[in-house]
Amino acid sequence: MTDRRRNFLILLVVAGLIAASAAVIATKKTRLGLELKGGVQLTYQARPTAQSKVDSESLERAISIMRKRVDQLGVAQPEIQSSGEDQIDVALPDVTNYTRAQEEVGKTAQLFFYDWEPNVIGASGEPAPKEGTATGDPGDPGGAAAGLPEYQAVLRAAKRKPILPPKASDLVSLQPGCTAAQVGNCIYGSWYLVEPAHEKVLRGPEETKHNLYSDLKIPKGAKTEAVHINPGTVLVQAHATEDEATGKVLDASPNSYYVLNDNPVLEGKDITSPTQSFNEGAGGNGAPNVTFGFTSHGKKVFERVTKEIAHRGQEAQLPGVTHAEALQHFAVVLDDQLITVPSIDFQQYPEGIDASTGSEISGGFTITSAQNLANELQSGALPVKLLLISKSQVSATLGKQALKQAIEAGLAGFLIVCLFLLFFYRVLGLIAIGGLTIYAVYFYGLVKLIPITLTLPGIAGYILTIGVCADANIVIFERVKEEIRGGRSVISGIASGYKHGFAAIVDANVVTFMTAFILFALATAEVKGFAFTLGIGTLVSLFTAVLATQAALGTMSQTRAVTHPAALATKRRGKGWRFDFMGASKWFFSMSGTILLIGALAIGAEGLNFGIDFTSGTRVQTAITRPHVSESEVASAVAAAGYASAQVQKFNNASVGGSGYQISTKTLEPKKVKDVEEALSRKFEYNGKPGIKDFSATSIGPTFGRSVANSAVIAIIASLLVISAYIALRFEWKYAVPVLIALMHDLLITSGVYALTGREVTTATVAALLTILGYSLYDTIIVFDRVRENVPRMPRAAFSQILNRSMSEVLTRSLATSFCTLLPVVSLLLFGGETLKNFAFALVVGIASGAYSSIFIASPVLMHWKEREPSYRARRARIARELGEVPAFATDATGALEDVEPEQKRRRTRRGSLIAPEGPGQQLTHDEFQELVADLDVDSPLDSAPAAPPVRGARRGRGAQGGVAAAPPRAASAPAAEPPAAGRDPAADLTPEDLVLKETRKPRQKRPRNKRHGRSR
Amino acid sequence: MGLLAWVIMGLAIWHYTIWLPDRFWGGIVGALVGSLIGSIVFGLLIFGIKVSALRIPGQKATNVGVVLYAVPGALIGMAVIYLVGMRNERAAAQLELP
Repeated sequence: MTDRRRNFLILLVVAGLIAASAAVIATKKTRLGLELKGGVQLTYQARPTAQSKVDSESLERAISIMRKRVDQLGVAQPEIQSSGEDQIDVALPDVTNYTRAQEEVGKTAQLFFYDWEPNVIGASGEPAPKEGTATGDPGDPGGAAAGLPEYQAVLRAAKRKPILPPKASDLVSLQPGCTAAQVGNCIYGSWYLVEPAHEKVLRGPEETKHNLYSDLKIPKGAKTEAVHINPGTVLVQAHATEDEATGKVLDASPNSYYVLNDNPVLEGKDITSPTQSFNEGAGGNGAPNVTFGFTSHGKKVFERVTKEIAHRGQEAQLPGVTHAEALQHFAVVLDDQLITVPSIDFQQYPEGIDASTGSEISGGFTITSAQNLANELQSGALPVKLLLISKSQVSATLGKQALKQAIEAGLAGFLIVCLFLLFFYRVLGLIAIGGLTIYAVYFYGLVKLIPITLTLPGIAGYILTIGVCADANIVIFERVKEEIRGGRSVISGIASGYKHGFAAIVDANVVTFMTAFILFALATAEVKGFAFTLGIGTLVSLFTAVLATQAALGTMSQTRAVTHPAALATKRRGKGWRFDFMGASKWFFSMSGTILLIGALAIGAEGLNFGIDFTSGTRVQTAITRPHVSESEVASAVAAAGYASAQVQKFNNASVGGSGYQISTKTLEPKKVKDVEEALSRKFEYNGKPGIKDFSATSIGPTFGRSVANSAVIAIIASLLVISAYIALRFEWKYAVPVLIALMHDLLITSGVYALTGREVTTATVAALLTILGYSLYDTIIVFDRVRENVPRMPRAAFSQILNRSMSEVLTRSLATSFCTLLPVVSLLLFGGETLKNFAFALVVGIASGAYSSIFIASPVLMHWKEREPSYRARRARIARELGEVPAFATDATGALEDVEPEQKRRRTRRGSLIAPEGPGQQLTHDEFQELVADLDVDSPLDSAPAAPPVRGARRGRGAQGGVAAAPPRAASAPAAEPPAAGRDPAADLTPEDLVLKETRKPRQKRPRNKRHGRSR
Repeated sequence: MGLLAWVIMGLAIWHYTIWLPDRFWGGIVGALVGSLIGSIVFGLLIFGIKVSALRIPGQKATNVGVVLYAVPGALIGMAVIYLVGMRNERAAAQLELP
């Protein structure tokens, strides 16, 4: 296929994809994340229960049940997904009653029915069916009055011996080796943490002793004790205390407990069709209740048990015992709290209750709580226990504001990059802008098609990839210009530029993509959105920046728009950079050392300002309707709500309508956040309007912070390993070490800058740090790619000269790519909202440091390390001997830079050969070497040696004149003219491949090609 | 946090080895390894003696003094690598003499 036809075909595909993307953009809706449209984001951590371990199966079941519950609440487009090994993220957009939503969605909802009297444990530690003080009979069975304080109940329960289930297999073990006895962290009964001095229970029930202490701050001086309750015994909380007259709940969670023999007769799974209803039957009071039916098994058991209870009641009605005193009960327990303990009237139901018409649970319900219970029972109990570890609530107004800021930042970034490209690359820049626009359209089309939920970090990833996409163009365009300056025609220069630039771009993009993949696989939900867009964007940008622009440029290559000298700005650039980068590296190393030193001391003096993502706590941001409210007024309102230690900070932000207040406090439960919201609203009520607007709150538990930090550390280590392996494969393992050192330098400098500036470290910062890992490599790869290319072309130069030369060739390109990526990131910093600013700050520091480290850290380290190799040491010694010093650049007789010809044809070399391994200068043939020696008028040390065959993989260059960067003739004529026997190191003048043992081949008689060996046919 | 500060300090001090002749065992990379290991080990050692337990100082326990624990460690680590490098060089030179 001709180039022209190929270009036409590519442009056709590009146009087709643009049309398809436009159609998708026009017809599909953009799915916005919570921070952009408002809503509640909840993160739960799953804990095992005696019935189920935490594994992918139990998490999936839990998610399915949670989804049912959310659907019942009528929440549109909820997103519930597992995250990591044991977390579930729930995103509930547009929720009006979020408090109810978050209470319902993560509730375990384990329902059990107990035969009451035979299972209540008395003071002796044994069941006490007739001990009214234990059961609460006859006055208020299961009520707060008869129960024990929790501490006393724990002590009573702890006296009980284990009662194992009939089958040992019913016990769920957490790890291999768990038996019916307590071993390590096996689930076996339950644990409570108590403080005997104050008769307080600090935590419990927990499944393992370890859980008792996780994330718990024990008060100073408190002496605690872990108490184990054997399997077969449970504590249940007394039912809510109500006002008898009004039915209003006075205390929903009384400190009153009963110890029960854990022998439930029915479970939640034995009932069907639970529905919220009203008690309107005979004698009904019209109060809300929950009616339900039974499964066939449930029906049988319910009838049998109620019959037993009725019979027991009949037996208990002895002379002198009233009817009420003889009544026996049936208890309903939901999530370890008694809901109701109804009696079975043995006179009305002497043979038990017929379950064919179902049954009801009543007592103490409001309509909402009855609905909730019905919903929970309908969706089923969660197989695992869920702990709310993070909650974020964003108002819709704030979301819209954040979206507006993100779009503005994105557009500004795009425009600045376009201007930069146009200014520096003229026609090429115009083509690059076309490529960027196509990229933007494709990407947005993909976002809508997949669909990708667009979050703030995701938008940051999108904007960053605009820079990455432009970088790819810059790398290629600089190469095209270089080729044309080197004497190629425009058409040939474009083809050659794309061909040579492609390897560097693929290397750089593969590394970015791998980092994005690792981030996606290991990071938390917020970072995942960013990683996904970064990964997709990197792939799309490869297509648009390389294929599409090449086709466009190829098609235009014969037009005057491209062939005109001014069009491509290829006018020869003076002498280019002639800076001794390697010589100056001493000073730059010292500068880096000093910056790091300051950073380390700043970490010691100030520490890092970790946000609540890591330290845990609740942060509320709100605007106050009433004007001129002071911080102390807000603080006193929050203190009145019960949080005296809260810190209040005033800030100016358009997102909260001018001046807003940030309230930071210890982690508050969702209900308490609501209390604070209501307290503020009441306190600052203004002209009949609610006192606050744009209320948003984020609560993070300590577990969440730890999981974020752990996943970040794992992601960093995984990224470093993958990046090292890739660099070692694509370059050489010695190139991987300077890359790692440069990355370490960038990450640590960024940390130091955060300590110095006191900026808050959040999950967005972690995402940015991980992005720096991928991105700071971009520059290093560009530099190393050129070094790799120049090594075989400068077979007599010292490594420092090769590096100086490479650096001088790619410095413009390297600076341009870094600057171009910095542009959109700076626009994020200037125009983005708070989250984007935080993200952008880390990126700005990291990218700037990455550009610097690839030139002044990675390259000098590579130089120092490579120059220890015998071949380079010999070269250096030879140059020093000949010239008295090693010049910064390999120069010709006039002192001008030796022209290194663009590499011609490179044949693939076979690795692993013992006798002629790859090495510096491998691509110079013996003939070329001899020619070079003749040109330089030097005695060849190989003259007396048998003629070495051409090295495998050698290329035939255009000639010695431009094929190598030779030592200057001055050097060649003086010491080199000495005979080898005069004490001179004969190896000094050799190319590296000459320093290894050569395979000497006997000259073979050439056979005709068609000559066959072996048996004749 | 202490570990991070020690690593930064070790890396910072290593940067100045560029002024020394490259006689480190393993070159400049060997010096880095020596500096990092030295700073971490010495930091842990001094902090361990101070709190009578082998643990890494957290955010609150890390102060300028704790950060400086890394300095002698980094210097000693690099010195050891330098001495090993010199010894190897001498041994190589002696081998070449005959």
